Amino acid sequence: MNISDQLVIMPIVIPLTGAMMALILRRRLRIQAGFALVIMVFSLAISALLLFDVWQTGQPLVFVSGGWPAPFGITLVGDLLSLLFVMMTQLVIVTGIIYAMGSKDTVVRYPTFYPLFLTLVTGLSGAFLTGDLFNMYVFAELLVISGTVLTAISDDRYGTEAAYKYFYISLMASFFMLFAVGSLYASYGTLNMADLAARIAADSDKALLWPAIAFLMATFMVKSAVFPFHFWQPDFHAAAPTAVSAMLSSVVVKLGVYGFLRMTTLLFVDQAPTIRGILLILGIIGIIFGGLSAIGTHNVKRMLAYSTLAQIGFILVGVGWGTPLAIMAALVFAFNHSLIKAAMLMLAGYVASRAAVKSAAFNIVTGVGRATPGAGVLFFVGALALAGLPPTNGFISKLLLFDSGIDAARFVSLLIIGVASILTMIYAIGAFQRIWWQKPDEEGTIKPIGDRLIAPALLIGLILVLGIWANPLVQLAKDTSAWLGDPTAYIQAVLGG
Amino acid sequence: MELLTASAIGLLFAIGIFQMLRRNIIRSVIGLIILANAVNLFLLATGATTGMEPAYSDLPGTHSDALPQALVLTAIVISMGGTAFILSMLYIISSRYKTSDMDEVDGLKH
Repeated sequence: MNISDQLVIMPIVIPLTGAMMALILRRRLRIQAGFALVIMVFSLAISALLLFDVWQTGQPLVFVSGGWPAPFGITLVGDLLSLLFVMMTQLVIVTGIIYAMGSKDTVVRYPTFYPLFLTLVTGLSGAFLTGDLFNMYVFAELLVISGTVLTAISDDRYGTEAAYKYFYISLMASFFMLFAVGSLYASYGTLNMADLAARIAADSDKALLWPAIAFLMATFMVKSAVFPFHFWQPDFHAAAPTAVSAMLSSVVVKLGVYGFLRMTTLLFVDQAPTIRGILLILGIIGIIFGGLSAIGTHNVKRMLAYSTLAQIGFILVGVGWGTPLAIMAALVFAFNHSLIKAAMLMLAGYVASRAAVKSAAFNIVTGVGRATPGAGVLFFVGALALAGLPPTNGFISKLLLFDSGIDAARFVSLLIIGVASILTMIYAIGAFQRIWWQKPDEEGTIKPIGDRLIAPALLIGLILVLGIWANPLVQLAKDTSAWLGDPTAYIQAVLGG
Repeated sequence: MELLTASAIGLLFAIGIFQMLRRNIIRSVIGLIILANAVNLFLLATGATTGMEPAYSDLPGTHSDALPQALVLTAIVISMGGTAFILSMLYIISSRYKTSDMDEVDGLKH
């Protein structure tokens, strides 16, 4: 075991320690915010380093906690997929903290705001990195509780209701997951994901296998707000404070995507065709339903929340096609969507902070953008990226997805998502036109200063960079997809021998 | 004994789900709590049938599986925290709307 193997725990330990230390600083809010930012930048640097290291060597980093060997103790496995998602999460969280530092909301002056932000990223990174199903449940629960508290203290007067709704359905989801864990343990006697994968591949006739698959799928569907379990998501993401909703709607929903990728490429490889078929149908329903709802809604943040529903649908279609090319496209799509959605929600929050009444409802923000052409340019680029037009990274992800669909000869689903992606253009450009082009409905006063635009500007910059210089990310996704195609390598790396 | 445990867990599941589907917002939380206990019992039952001696002891006979007990301990603690938190949010909501009828808690619809 070398130093690098131990380092894989750092993306979890750094934010967690940071959260505890930030609690000590609760009376010095400015120092606390700066401290949280430093901690997250440090953690991001470490996870980028780990990702680069794993990408170079091609071998995952396996950390054996407490010295208990693989099937008995809890292992943390940093393979390309996990570290890619961890890096993406921490990148977006860094911009979220920057946005919160420049935000005018009263919620960012809540003493535990930044500690909760850091526990949120702890939970998410832990859920991505763990190699143990029960440990994933624990980290997911930490994530849910942090996200709920952050929304419950929101400036929005319906924050508590939205948080209650989310927490209720998330508790249900965690019971589903516990049920799946119990079923798998009763059938196979292990919870280590690598060991479980090996045993399921050896004997897939257990009676409780399919219930476990169904419950795990339901869990991840709730986490990702996939179609039949989506109803909490628009309320929750619209009521959360802007800095938080930008995180929830971009990276937190990716936990389900990660779960589906692990299910189809590692745990249930033999059962994967059925799972993929279901995901494909749910993805297409999500794209159409999310797109139509986003057009019909009356609030910018809500529109973007519905748009997440549609974009997760695109990712699920990629996972559902399941060819190496399609998985690569889904990974690129997931990464790019995180950046785009975080930037768009921050811009929506910025507009709301300039409006006379702090609200993102269309009838209040109409025309507000006329005073801020700079934010208009950013929003326009973001809208292009959401709709998948060049020169943005959204174009790259849509291109790769359609290309993989042609390659897999799935023309019917390709046609449907091609037509449905026009919906994205309608609502994204429509919102731009209402906020920046139309005259205000009535002469309201626009506040002279709102939230700071540094964080969305950073993200939009990244969107353009990744749109023009897409090769490194695409190459990384390609290698990740090739690595996912060979579950035995994962099993061998964790169990040894 | 196994049949009794299984039917008890099944009954708890049924009661929990029935209460969750009620319109009363407080009953639905009680349903969630009952469901939490049903799941915890189910988790415990996955290892309850193997061996009667405590693990890590020198006693003869089959040792019991310690893992489900550790799992259920963690799950109980987490669901307790979740219950406390959801009840506190329920308190805020019910004192704001002065009702327990789910249809009248409609702030988000506007």
